[in-house]
Order: sequence, then structure tokens, then C-alpha cells
Amino acid sequence: MEMKEKNEKITALLGWSLQAIEAIDKLNRPYVVVGPPEFKPFADNNGILFVPWQFNVPIEHSVELYEQLKELNTKVAIPIYEETVEWAGMLNSLIWENPKVFNKSLLLRDKSLMKRRAHLAGLRVGVFEEAFTKENIKHFLKRMNEALLNTDEENFEPIHVKPFDKAGTVGHRMISKYEEIEEIDDSEFPLLMESHLEGQEFSCEAFVHNGKVKFLNITEYVKLGHSNFVPASPTLEQWRPQIRATIEKLVEAFEVTHGILHPEFFLTPDGTIYFGEVAARIPGGHIFEHIERVYGFSPYQGQVLCSDPDTTEEELNAFFPEEVVSAKGHSGNLMVYPKVKSINKLNIPTELKEHPYFLKHNMFIPTTAKVAERVGYGNHYGSIYFFGEDSKEMRSLLEEYEKHNFYL
Amino acid sequence: MTTITRERKTSTTRRKTPVARKKASAKQSPLEVKFEVALQTLNAAKPFAKSLYQTDVYQLANELASTPEGMPILFNYAHQFDEAGVFLGGEWEDPTKLQPPFVGGSLRLRGIYSIVELLSEMRILAIAKGTYKHESISGEEASAFLNEVIALNLDLLISTDSTDDNIEIEEHLLRAHNLFTYLGQELSFSAIADKMVQEIERMTVQRPIITRRIIELIETSQELIGNDIEDQSVFALEKYLRATDAPTPLSTEATDHRDYRLKLDQASEEVLATEAKLFADSMAETGLVSPYHAVLIRFLNRKYEYILPTSLDLTEIGISSFTDNKGLIHDIIQLAIYPETRQAIYGLSRMLNRGDLQIEAALRQLFELPVHAHVKGALSNFVNEENGISVNGILVAGVVSVLGQPLGIGQGQNAICQSARAISLWAQFNVEKLFDMITHAARDNNIEMSFEGELINSNLLIDGVASNINQDLDPVSIILVPHLDKIYNEMMKRTLLRGEDGHKWVNREFYGEWIPSGFINVIDPLTLKVTNYTSFVKLFYATHHPDYNEGHNMLYPNPVGIFLTNVHGELLGLHAVSIQRIEKDQNGECRIYFYNPNNDSTQNWGQDIKASVSGFGELEGESSLPFHEFVSRMYAYHYNPYEQGDTYMVEGAVVEKVEMLAKNSWGKNYVWA
Repeated sequence: MEMKEKNEKITALLGWSLQAIEAIDKLNRPYVVVGPPEFKPFADNNGILFVPWQFNVPIEHSVELYEQLKELNTKVAIPIYEETVEWAGMLNSLIWENPKVFNKSLLLRDKSLMKRRAHLAGLRVGVFEEAFTKENIKHFLKRMNEALLNTDEENFEPIHVKPFDKAGTVGHRMISKYEEIEEIDDSEFPLLMESHLEGQEFSCEAFVHNGKVKFLNITEYVKLGHSNFVPASPTLEQWRPQIRATIEKLVEAFEVTHGILHPEFFLTPDGTIYFGEVAARIPGGHIFEHIERVYGFSPYQGQVLCSDPDTTEEELNAFFPEEVVSAKGHSGNLMVYPKVKSINKLNIPTELKEHPYFLKHNMFIPTTAKVAERVGYGNHYGSIYFFGEDSKEMRSLLEEYEKHNFYL
Repeated sequence: MTTITRERKTSTTRRKTPVARKKASAKQSPLEVKFEVALQTLNAAKPFAKSLYQTDVYQLANELASTPEGMPILFNYAHQFDEAGVFLGGEWEDPTKLQPPFVGGSLRLRGIYSIVELLSEMRILAIAKGTYKHESISGEEASAFLNEVIALNLDLLISTDSTDDNIEIEEHLLRAHNLFTYLGQELSFSAIADKMVQEIERMTVQRPIITRRIIELIETSQELIGNDIEDQSVFALEKYLRATDAPTPLSTEATDHRDYRLKLDQASEEVLATEAKLFADSMAETGLVSPYHAVLIRFLNRKYEYILPTSLDLTEIGISSFTDNKGLIHDIIQLAIYPETRQAIYGLSRMLNRGDLQIEAALRQLFELPVHAHVKGALSNFVNEENGISVNGILVAGVVSVLGQPLGIGQGQNAICQSARAISLWAQFNVEKLFDMITHAARDNNIEMSFEGELINSNLLIDGVASNINQDLDPVSIILVPHLDKIYNEMMKRTLLRGEDGHKWVNREFYGEWIPSGFINVIDPLTLKVTNYTSFVKLFYATHHPDYNEGHNMLYPNPVGIFLTNVHGELLGLHAVSIQRIEKDQNGECRIYFYNPNNDSTQNWGQDIKASVSGFGELEGESSLPFHEFVSRMYAYHYNPYEQGDTYMVEGAVVEKVEMLAKNSWGKNYVWA
């Protein structure tokens, strides 16, 4: 046993996530967690091999981290959070002596670059430009509407802006008035601007190994940032072949060989798929929990296995179940944001608790009554989980309770 | 693949459990099933991952605890809580560290902490009932813990049915109510009532000026009387209830204060004398005063002055001070004794019994003193304005209380032990200085004190030791403490660079010149190490212990610094108390009798060091400890270098005993040089 520990190469998780740690721990493979120094005492107390690291330093420091990880016989670095994607890229470049790995990871960290790359690869994208000043945004808003033959300033078609390198919905704004541009802080630039896309929004979680998609989950969004469920409804799943083809194109375009991809798309009623953006990290919105609940495998473990080039084909085939048909039902959740400034009471309807689809919720009256301001979709104050057979019922539940005031 | 194994594991355990607990499984509610699964998932998780699964358990426990039927379900699983990791990583993890006085606060929080607290009580109940064997808590200890928790929080037990339908009870309070009802069923009300009586006795025997907390306890204890509790407890509780309400035949009949006053008009002098005697007895026995007592005294003051001494429970000394100061007493009652300030009757009684009061001029000055608007504001919070008592009346009532109960001054929940101790010392030994300060503070909202020849004015200072002083203080403290606190802080600041503990100079200037000039602190202020502990102990024995100090008795209290420690002997912080006297008790053991401004003098300091407030000849407001136990908690004291015995006469074994206690408690937080 001791010999094995000494010889076996280890996996590095970049970022502190108990779920990820628990998952890799259950895989019975040696690992090290790289995370903020404040977790060191906890890691030590629990026998978790830990390297303290601040990821908010320039990437040039990665050599120092690499030296430490090399000492530990690390064979692969796996990013947990958006901010650690390029760190994983750099470390894997150094470990595998392949500089391109890092460059590829940068594509995934810059929304404007990623859009260009997708566009080049022939994916459908909205109209987009980069903004460095408020003037740029004004110009884009105006020109977009001119292109749509809309000169009615009061009723401009909206555009979207988002920072190049923020996760998910952080810093995302929808703009249809000049005044709204003024609210943007100068520190938020540069921004990516894009035309508004109509259609059904969804995300994919693609587990890629050796450049091949080994498992593809489709997550149906009911309301962006609020509710989603897995697997998608039959209406959306009927487009799976087309979606899979798009994902494969994406994998090829971004030259992804190992790991997970978490892209977001829009599907128009006629079946056209528009590319929104893509990340190479664990998705938010409890998507991994849903996958685990319906398919019975741990997506965190899936990520680890796919990130490791040494994982065999047989191992992966045994690990991943059949898509959609093997799902035990639909798993969905609603993230709850207080609609009040100060919380005094929880208001959870009995009908909700008695609904057969209701699994659990984790809402408590917070210790500080004052509600924090939202950044992006910000911190939700708890989630409600549902599980059931019928995707229509799931969708209507999520829509219905989205309107409910859980916090009074 | 691993996940699949885990799934299988979970399902096997699930199958097993119903066999183990046949009874419950027959009619498990869906909620119970969910709770059981959540608890098992938590149990299966590795320690580092427990926090991922604790929330689900809390959430479902929350749901269960919101109905009375859920409580026994929670109890069925309570013996597994520790093992499953329900409390892992939080303040509730180690049940031996929990203390009953903190439970109520947590249960009254909204949100998650109140739920964890509730689960912790269920765990302790499991220990008490023997379904869970804990290695360091016995069943008796667990029961005692819960009895105390209930005694301290009886208001949470009060029936929710009787309240107005329109007022919705908040969820967390409803849960707490369910918990206490369940605990009440499972434990004996009799033990709770007994604990309750002890708690009230413990607090009243110290005779604090501010009795709000005691009265709250007495009021909530009423709830217990209907239950199956021992006659002895009922008798004691009823005694306290009467003392704060109607302890006499006439007051029992009266519907309100007005009605009582009308009845007094009709009563014969014999009846009045009986009333007076009964009020006085009740007050003497409990230290608590009935509002009707104030009505009687105001009545007697106008018509039957000769019965006043009886109603005030005066001793011979008291009667002679009464006779010498009739005019003054008459005016004090007229101005300051109202049902709202009834507690000052006790103060008046004790003040007169102290005798030798040369205060007429000073006190009369307060009758009509123009009071600063700021002070007026602070004092008017003290009582309702309905009965026409003036601000000066409140002030005088406060002064009477302080003079009558100098050891009843409390610091409330404020970090103002220095100031409270100062007021107490002056009320005993420098009444003139006290009056002077009260006058200045009330009129000018300023106090002036000199430090090494330089004047310090409190109104020019910003910072004090205590950041926020709440109002749970007596009127004199309300007026003086904000100033004293700032001045004390300023004096300490001026000694910061002297390389020695500033108390050496500050105490004499602040409290009074009668504080001896010798001073010693165990902590070297430069190295912050415990230095020369042996000589610290020997010197204290040689200057204070009657067997070693060549008969130099203490004339004035000694303000000393102590390390406050909790029940586990762990250091909580520094605290100021004063040693009142040092004497041998009835068993011949030498004890230190001291005044503790925190009014909670029976705190358990760990290592079996428990200050007592009665049973060893303690006077009202005094606490006492065996000499060596007290010394083991001290870090600084004053001494008179001209009145001491020889330190070499103190045996090494005596020092060792003290040093062991010190090293194994607060001493762990310091380096010993």
C-alpha cells in the first residue's frame, strides 16, 4: 500500500469544493487540493493533502505551484472554478510539456475570443462586438437597431453585455436604453456585446475524453439563473442529434481533448442552434446534483476520469450510463431570491411541501435580515428541489413557484 | 462505480433499521422516512464532507420540530446525532462545553442556530434518558442541565393556545415551545420547579438593586404551579409571587393601587400595623418589594408616621436614624417612593439600618437640583411617567438604593466592572465624594477628577472601555457610569508607557487614597509572561491571610483584578472585584468575602471553584471563596508594605496548591517565566 502511494501519480483539484473532494475521495485515487490558505487547518485536520494557493496572483507564478505539484508527483490538474481554468491549462502545459494546452484554456476564459473561435468553426452566433468605452456600447445599440430597421429609441431591441472573463451571469446586463449604459462602471470594461437571441435556452454538460464526447447531458433552463431541470423535456431532447453534432463541432473547434465542457445555447423554434458561450468547469445551478440524482453517477467523478488521459475506454464505458433512457426521472430546482429588502419570515406553502415532486428545500431565515445586493444572479437564498416523471409538470411547478414570495 | 456501491450500501442499511426498531417503523410518516435517510446519508459521509449533508438534517428536523408529534420522532434518533456528525464542526460539537445559560439565547434566534440548539437538547435528553451513553456526561448531569435550561427559559414553555389568534407565533419560538413541552413531559416538572426556586433564591440572596430579571423569573414560574410539583416548591414560588405582588390580606383583596389606598383609609390602626409588619417581613425575607408596599408607605407617611419604622423593617439603629431624620425621611418618601420605585423601599430600610448618616444637606440638594437635559432623557427611560414621579424623585430613589445596598450595584450586561466597583466603594466609604459626583454629573453632565495633579473632564473625552452601555442599570449608575468609564480609560492611557501595570497609580487616584500604595501584578507588562508567581502568592498571604499577616486587619475593601474562568477553568477575560473582608468561617476555614459587580456571584469558575453567596456568613451582596481558591484566580492586588508579615513564613505547599490551580486554568493561556 505504501509503495503504491509513493509511486502512484496524483490528481490536483484546483479550487476548494467539498463536493469535488468527496467525489474524488470515493474514487480511491490519490489527490491533492490546491486552494486558498484559509482551508489549510481544515484540510490538515481531515487528512486531505493540501497545497495553499491564491489564484488571484499573476499566472506567471504558476511555476512555483508547478514545482510544488511536481514534487507530489502530480499527473493532471483539474479546474473547479472559472478562475482556475487557465491555471489548470498552464499546469497541464507544464506537466505534459505542451504549451498549447495553456493557450487553449485562455480561449475559454475570454468571452470575446471564444465567440470568434466558435464563429470561425462555423457555429451560429449572434452579432457581437467588443466594447472598451460606453461610446462603443451606444454605437452598437444604435447600429443593431438600425439593422433591424427600428428607429424608435423608446422601444429599442435589447442587446447584452458581459465582462470577458466572469463566470456565468456575473456582470451580465441587458440594455435597451442609453441611460442604462451610464449605470455601467468603468471598471467593468472591456465587455462583450451581443445581439439578443430569442429561443429556448439550455446548457450542455459534455464529458470529453480523447477528444470524444463520452456523455452528453442537456439541461433545460426554465428561467435563466432561477430554474432548470435534467434531463431536458422530450421537446428539447428531440434535437439531441443536432445538439450533439454542434457539441462535437465545438470540441473540435476548441481542440478540447480531456475534461468537461459546459456550453450554453439557444434553440429557435425552427431548430436552429445558436452558440451562447462555453466554460470548462463545473456548472452552477445545481446541475451536477441533478445529473447524479437522475443518472446515479457522480459527475464530479466523471470530470476527474475524463480529465485524466490515462483513464481507459473500458473504465469510461462502465462509468457512464446511457443518456436519457437510463434517467430515473427529471430532477429540477428553483433558486430563490428574496423579493424583499429585509427578511422576517419564511413562507413555504403546504401544497408545495405536499406535492409528490417536492424533494427538499434548504431555506432558512438568515441571521442577518438585510438582503445582500445582487451581483449577476448573485447569491440565491436557498433552493427548492423537485423530482418527478413528467417534464411538463416539472416546468409548470418551476414557473409557478418562481412567482411565489418565499421570503417575507 | 463507487457511487453505485454507495447506493447499495444505503439501501442495505435502510433495510436493516426497521428490524432494530420495530415499533416506530410500523407507522413511519413520510417526513420521518426523509429524516432517517438524511441522517443516514450524513452518517455515511466522511468527516470532512459532513457539512454537505448537515443542512438536510437540520431542515427536516426543523419540519419535525414544528409539530408536537415530531418531537418524539426526533428523540428516537437523538442517540445517533453525535455519531452521525450532526454537530460536527460547530459550537455544539462537544456537549461538555455547553452551558445552560446560553441555550435560551440560541433558541430565540431565527434561522439555523435555533435548530442546531434544539437538536442538541434532544441529544442531551437522550443522555438523560439513557438511550445514549456519553463518555463524559452522566445521566444525572444531563438531567440537571436540562432542568436548568427549562428553569431559565420558562417563558418558552408558556402555553401558546391562550394567546390571541391574530398574533402569529414565530416559527422558531413555536419549535422552542414544542421542545420545552416535550422536555417537560419527559423530565419531571418537580425537578424543574426545584431548580427554578434555587435560581430565584440564588439571585435574591445577593440583594441586587435591579430586580427585573428576578421578577421575570418569578412571573414565568407561575406556569409551573398548576403542574405536578412538590409542595415545598409551590410554597417557595408562592412566597416569591406574593412578595412581588400582594403579600398582605388587604393587598390581596385590592383590585388595584387605588382600591388598596381606599381600603387603607377604612382600616383600623391595628390592621395597618399588621399590614406594615407583613410587608416588612416579606421584604426582609426576599429582598423584593411589592408595589402595594409603596402605597402603604406613602399613606403612613401622611397619616400614621409612627407605623413607618415597622413597615420599613427597622432595627434599633434604624429606628434611631429614623427619629433623627424624620423630616428628611418624610420628604424622601413624598418625592421618591412610588410603586415604580418600590425597590428603593428596601434601600431606604437598609440605609437607615446602616445608621450614622450625615447626608441630609447633600440629599436635599438633589431634591431640587436642575437636571441636565441629557441626564433627564436617560433617567426618564427608567420608569413610566404615568404616576407623576419627577426626575429628581427617580434620582433620589436611586441614591437611597445605592446607599442602602452598596453591594447590590450591578454592571448588567456591560463591561463596566471598574465603574460599578467604584460606585460601590464610595457608597460604603466615601459618601461625600459620591454625592459630589452625582451632583455634577446630573447637573452638568460632566465629572471632573484629577490624575497626578492634572484635571480630567469626562465631557471632553470620547472613548471609554465599554463601547455601548445599556440601560439595565440603577439610576445612579446610569448617571455616573458613562463618565467614570471614560475617565478610568483616560487615566489608564496616561500610564501606558510606564512599563508597569497602570492600575498601580490609577486605582489610588480613581477610587481613593485609602487604597494601599503597594501593588503587584503577576503578568509582566513588558514580556506578558507570568512572572514571580511564588512571591505574588506569598506576599498576598503575608499581607492578607490572618495566619501570616501579624494581625493587620483590612480596614477598607481592596480592589483586585481576577481572571474570570468558565466552568471548565478556561480563561474568559479580566474582571474587577473588591475584597470586602477576610475572615474564618464557622468551620475555621479562612475565606475571602468579596463584592462581584456582575451580580451573578455564584458562577462556577471550574476546578470545583464555586463562589457561594450564603451558608458561610456572607453579608447581603457578598460572595465568598476559600482563601486559596480565590488567590488562584487573582492577577493583581494592592497591599500595604508597612503592614505585612514575613513572606518566608508561607509554606511552599500552600503556594504549590495555588499554583497548580492557576496553571491548570487561566495559566494555560500564558507563558510562565
